Amino acid sequence: MKPYIEFARKTFINKMVYKFDYVVGIFNTCLQIFIFWCIYKALYGTSSKIDGISFSMVTTNFILCLGLSSTFQINDLFVQEKVNDGSIANEFLRPVNFKGRILAENIGSIIFGLIFNFIPALFVAIIFVGIQSPVSSLALLLFSASAILGFFILWQISFIVQMTSFWVINVWSISTIKNVFVNVLSGSMLPLWFMPRAVMGFIKFTPFASIYFIPIRIYLGDMQGNDILINFLRQMLWIAILYIIGEVMWRRGQKKLIVQGG
Amino acid sequence: MSKSLIELNGISKTFKISKRSKGIPSMALNLFHPKYEYKKAVKDISFRINEGEMVGFIGPNGAGKSTTIKMLSGILYPDSGHININGFVPYKQRKEYVSNIGVVFGQKSQLSWDLPVIDSFELIKHIYRISDKKYEENLEKFTELLNMSDFINQPVRQLSLGQRMRADIVAALLHSPKIVFFDEPTIGLDVVGKEKIRDFIRYLNETQGITMIFTTHDMQDIEKTCNRLIIIDKGDKLYDGNLIDIREKYGTSRQLDIQFESNINISPIEHVKVEQLDGLKKRFIFENTKVHIHELMSDLLTKYKVKDLSITEPDIETIIRQIYEGSIDIV
Amino acid sequence: MKNDTFSMFLYYTKSTIKSWFQYKIDAILRSFAVFLREATGIIVIYLTLLKFNNINGWNIDEMLFLFSLLFITYGILIIFFTGLRDFSRIIQNGDFDRIILRPRGLLFQIISINSDWFAAIGHGFLGITLFIVSANNVGIVWNLKTIIYYIFSVIGGVLIQGAIFLFFASLSFYLIKTDNLREMFYWNMRKFAGYPISIYHKFIQWILIFIVPFAFVNYFPAQFLLRKPDMAAYPTIFMYVAPFLGIALYLISYGFWRYSVRYYKSTGN
Repeated sequence: MKPYIEFARKTFINKMVYKFDYVVGIFNTCLQIFIFWCIYKALYGTSSKIDGISFSMVTTNFILCLGLSSTFQINDLFVQEKVNDGSIANEFLRPVNFKGRILAENIGSIIFGLIFNFIPALFVAIIFVGIQSPVSSLALLLFSASAILGFFILWQISFIVQMTSFWVINVWSISTIKNVFVNVLSGSMLPLWFMPRAVMGFIKFTPFASIYFIPIRIYLGDMQGNDILINFLRQMLWIAILYIIGEVMWRRGQKKLIVQGG
Repeated sequence: MSKSLIELNGISKTFKISKRSKGIPSMALNLFHPKYEYKKAVKDISFRINEGEMVGFIGPNGAGKSTTIKMLSGILYPDSGHININGFVPYKQRKEYVSNIGVVFGQKSQLSWDLPVIDSFELIKHIYRISDKKYEENLEKFTELLNMSDFINQPVRQLSLGQRMRADIVAALLHSPKIVFFDEPTIGLDVVGKEKIRDFIRYLNETQGITMIFTTHDMQDIEKTCNRLIIIDKGDKLYDGNLIDIREKYGTSRQLDIQFESNINISPIEHVKVEQLDGLKKRFIFENTKVHIHELMSDLLTKYKVKDLSITEPDIETIIRQIYEGSIDIV
Repeated sequence: MKNDTFSMFLYYTKSTIKSWFQYKIDAILRSFAVFLREATGIIVIYLTLLKFNNINGWNIDEMLFLFSLLFITYGILIIFFTGLRDFSRIIQNGDFDRIILRPRGLLFQIISINSDWFAAIGHGFLGITLFIVSANNVGIVWNLKTIIYYIFSVIGGVLIQGAIFLFFASLSFYLIKTDNLREMFYWNMRKFAGYPISIYHKFIQWILIFIVPFAFVNYFPAQFLLRKPDMAAYPTIFMYVAPFLGIALYLISYGFWRYSVRYYKSTGN
């Protein structure tokens, strides 16, 4: 356990060195929240509810979505860099699990993000934009749990993208395309309540709706009782599916590396 | 007295470095109240170099050598003092000045990584506006001298270090500069590679009178190519003169190792320190200014039965190290 | 051995084709990735307006037209300014020293070194497509006057954004990580500029007009051609200043650049 904590701690400290990074990061997130607030204010105009969704539900959706996504940032190019410069071979020699190490480092940067990105951004957003409180403290708790599950879904997706570096020259392209799908289909740019039916039909079969939208709906009380349970299971199912895919690619990739010698 | 090609007068340079703290709480504080310290990299250095000279700059890491070179090449402004090279002030008349100099960074190639060497050369021809005639002449001459025809069409990333170094040196010479600066030109090369480069550099100096300035850690580079040595440490110029002088002045210590036929007790000799080595060997350490070696030797050889002997004088490297450490005082 | 030679030959052929194929795939994938990333904004607008119909009176075609100006100007911009976009890397590599040592203008070298054709094609293609799709549906009469206006606005838009790039490149001399700043000031503001600025709070509008003048890249030129009612809130002259503003801003950025190069030469790296 100790080396993993060390990895997390190192990433955390590294982030502190770049002062501008974090100030700008918060600003970034706040600005984005504000953009969406303005857009939807214009779109709502004089109506108080559209399709049963109130304006404050929409703003809350954006604050939580953008806050979480800025916290959950993962460097998709990590593995590729190691494959390209050959240092991936060293990783196999180390007595730590490589996947675990990646996760530990990401967690280090997330804890940083939570303290220095999410909370300040939340604070600013509350003052200038106004956020709806969670329907109950239980909802808040379940929201947090669901958000963590959502993170693991996101993390698995990132891991799969990183695994392509064993076969593809340019992981950046795949990562960028992945990000487009995540951004559009997870509800962080258009709340999934307003997504056209046809598109929603497609999204249902993807993990994207389970990243942010489920926790946010729990928070807003848009989901009751059994539904919550079902959606938790859905999130866990996606984690499992993505984990398997990731593992298979990881094993195949290692084999390929050993055979080819990088 | 003819005017020197390179003149430095009273050059100084100080850097402001931010102080990094350790541990999370003080780092957080550092975000709001950054601390700085001032480092004097170069303190009042002056020297002159004439056309055709080959000068080596030597000094420990952080001594101020690369800062001085950067000021000479125009990359950095001095805080005070004057520089005049070839009639130009390097940092004031940049474009005209750099047309006449070449710079070789041993650790950073100026060639395009993915392209064949010849492509990089042609780019340089275009940048320096080299005439077709001069370009063809230089290219042919250097390619032949350095045996580059078998790799000149290969991408730089496929070259060995020795090949790349050769290509980088040619790249710096294509526009026939008057002065060339070398920063660690033989670093990482094997013995043969180093020798090739040194021969080529000497040849250039002898045939074309190109003035050359080296910064290096490799004393052999200096011994085999330069006639003049400038030692810089902690921003000060400690020594400026030729290699022969440095040996004569500071390399006066001698070691005479004698293997005797039998175990002997040597009576103390004035100004000579005697050390016992393995077995029947003894070491006699002395200054050749204080002790005449032929007297010492004839004394020992007549008194005792000697099986074998050797005399060593300190190499330049040792002398320099002693200068850095302050065990030799420069007068 | 004859057998061996033939199979060796096959092996080499196969790997040559494979690497050529991979390279081509890589190139296509990269262009597609840029295209898709830039199209995200459009896709989201499209889906949103499917639900909401219009935003501040701007319908979907008018929105696409507004967006197209952003992409067309960026496509042209990146052909010349790729070096400035990546300038912080040049500084960190120590490559800038080599540039100083060459007898050519510093900016000239940086601009000529590299062009990101993937980005140029990705953005350019997207911009032109949007333009073609929307230009006929938004009620613009294309005559000599409007065409000349359009061309000058595009040039102005390129210069304005070029000035911003040059400014951030200059910042690399002072700060290690300018990418985040540029991300915030340029890319985020650009996201704002995808929508008619009239929907925003005065503060944001002020930023888009006076600080990072994206409004002059697409909104005001579009207004000249479309004359939407929300233009009433702004001085009419705003519709005419884009090229002049571009030149002025570029000159200011250039001055800052010169100052920053001097700073670099005083402090090293």
